[in-house]
Amino acid sequence: MSLFENIRIAFEALWNNRLRSFLALLGIVIGVFAVTALVSLGQMATAGITSDLESVASRMIIIQPNYHLGIDMKRLNDLDVQTLSRLPVTVIPEVVSNAEYEKKPGDRRSVTLYGTPGDMPHIDAATKLANGRYFTDAEAQSGLAVAVINPPAVKEIFGTADPIGKRLRLFYPNSGRVEVMVVGVTEPLNFGFGGEPPQVSVPSSLLWRTHPDVRRNEYHVVFLHVRGNLDLQSVQHQAEQLLSARHAKDSLQFFSAESLKSTLGSITIILQALLGAIAGLSLLVGGIGIMNIMLVSVTERTREIGLRKALGATSAQIRWQFISEAVVLTFVGGLLGVLLAAGVLWLIVKTVPFFKVFVLSPSTITLALGVSVLVGLFFGVWPAARAAKLDPIESLRYE
Amino acid sequence: MGNVVEMRGVTKIYHSGSRQRTVDVQALRGIDLDIREGEFVAIMGPSGSGKSTLMHIIGLLDTPTDGRYTLGNVPVAGMREDELARLRNRKIGFVFQAFFLLPRLIAQRNVELPLVYRGLPFSERQRRAHAALQAVGLEDRLYHYPNELSGGQKQRVAIARALVQEPDILLADEPTGNLDSQASLEVLDLFDDLHRQGKTIIMVTHEPDVGARAKRIVRMHDGRIVV
Repeated sequence: MSLFENIRIAFEALWNNRLRSFLALLGIVIGVFAVTALVSLGQMATAGITSDLESVASRMIIIQPNYHLGIDMKRLNDLDVQTLSRLPVTVIPEVVSNAEYEKKPGDRRSVTLYGTPGDMPHIDAATKLANGRYFTDAEAQSGLAVAVINPPAVKEIFGTADPIGKRLRLFYPNSGRVEVMVVGVTEPLNFGFGGEPPQVSVPSSLLWRTHPDVRRNEYHVVFLHVRGNLDLQSVQHQAEQLLSARHAKDSLQFFSAESLKSTLGSITIILQALLGAIAGLSLLVGGIGIMNIMLVSVTERTREIGLRKALGATSAQIRWQFISEAVVLTFVGGLLGVLLAAGVLWLIVKTVPFFKVFVLSPSTITLALGVSVLVGLFFGVWPAARAAKLDPIESLRYE
Repeated sequence: MGNVVEMRGVTKIYHSGSRQRTVDVQALRGIDLDIREGEFVAIMGPSGSGKSTLMHIIGLLDTPTDGRYTLGNVPVAGMREDELARLRNRKIGFVFQAFFLLPRLIAQRNVELPLVYRGLPFSERQRRAHAALQAVGLEDRLYHYPNELSGGQKQRVAIARALVQEPDILLADEPTGNLDSQASLEVLDLFDDLHRQGKTIIMVTHEPDVGARAKRIVRMHDGRIVV
């Protein structure tokens, strides 16, 4: 008896019991739906974040002291920046600090405070201005008290009023303060989960001069924007070589979009495996449902089994017939589950802004259908064995 | 003509009861029986006489406890279950009292059933099923479901299902037990026809007038053949 014949008979038997078959495979549908949807959601999140990363930082190498090593770290300074300028990169050194502003007398809120070079939009494509201007190189060099702020900062500090030309008083964490004039507002960054925090960017030299905790000519982080289509890895390697003269091995950290992506990738894989395993539990429950239905079916069809044996069906043929039924049931359930997942994922992409791309990879589909077939095989074996070992004479007498 | 069935000293003992107290029931106490090719035999006897057990052994649904049984030159002793199933599929055509048609299959598909297990391709099965249903006069009921057929027609479909196997023996267990007298006559007339065509028919019955249609009667009592 061929496989095709088995499958045809299985379809026939299941079709004859449409309602029950449908109810039995619901468990599988839900299980496969859960596994497929969760795994794909993970992939969609990764794909979304990756495309964000690429739009913002695809050609960037980020260098910062290894803060894990503790107090004794050596910051990057002007000398390092000059050294790095020898590479085919645009060097963007930044000071990172924080400050507070007074919302109302006595109510201070914190903002992130950056010290940057002037004319950022010209050297970093990801910085775009929505309103006003960026402070110039000359203004940055002389450390004028000017600032560019991001939309969340506008909303927090100025509400709906136009911030351009307004004065903003900032208090440093321990002591001291500075008053800056807002000259520009950046475009909102479309990045990852939720919004950006309020940010204020001022010339680095202003911070060096006024911030008690920031030392002259020192930076907290240096971005290298790699020109053309040079290989990021080799440029990063050269930067490491150049800086090794002044900085001990491992005292600096290097990141690129590539390395972030791989870190992100390994996190999502762990997450997916975890979610997939939890969803797999529902498949287990679905499988037990299938086994239950198959056992009932074997009991109900005892006479049919007896007849088939009397007509010459071997035990093996009977066994395969019932295993086929279970597998067809779970496979159809798996197909419906994948279709349902595809529909729901599509709806999510349409309605949730965070998920930008629809991902339902062939490997996920193969996995889902493969697991469905395995569930059918596994949970079909016992009922099928019971059917196979029925005695034909007893079975034909069964009422 | 040779013997289709050859039995020598066949006995059958059933063990029944609980684990503590098993009861041995001796259903057959030494059967010697020869049935030649083309015979029409009725096996008769009261209930409990062992005629059903004898039929099950002839039909390879059961095996003797002791003794020798040869079915068309094949000694059956010591055969594995799947070998018996295959032999059953080739050599035995069953007709049951309760028809045992699968209710969700049309007549033609019911008749095809034994050939499915023989592994014949679809078109061949269909051709043979048509022919078998034609042979029992039901060529206009190919696509009817069992519940759309009368009792007599159902039994004729069941006979067609046996004929399609081209078996050595047509083994009928109370074939008229569930039929009214008119339908019984139809079925028995059909058996007469098949007998005239040279088929070997063994019929188990307890009704004297049904048994009388056979050319030979084997009477059983207490697990023995008495005539």
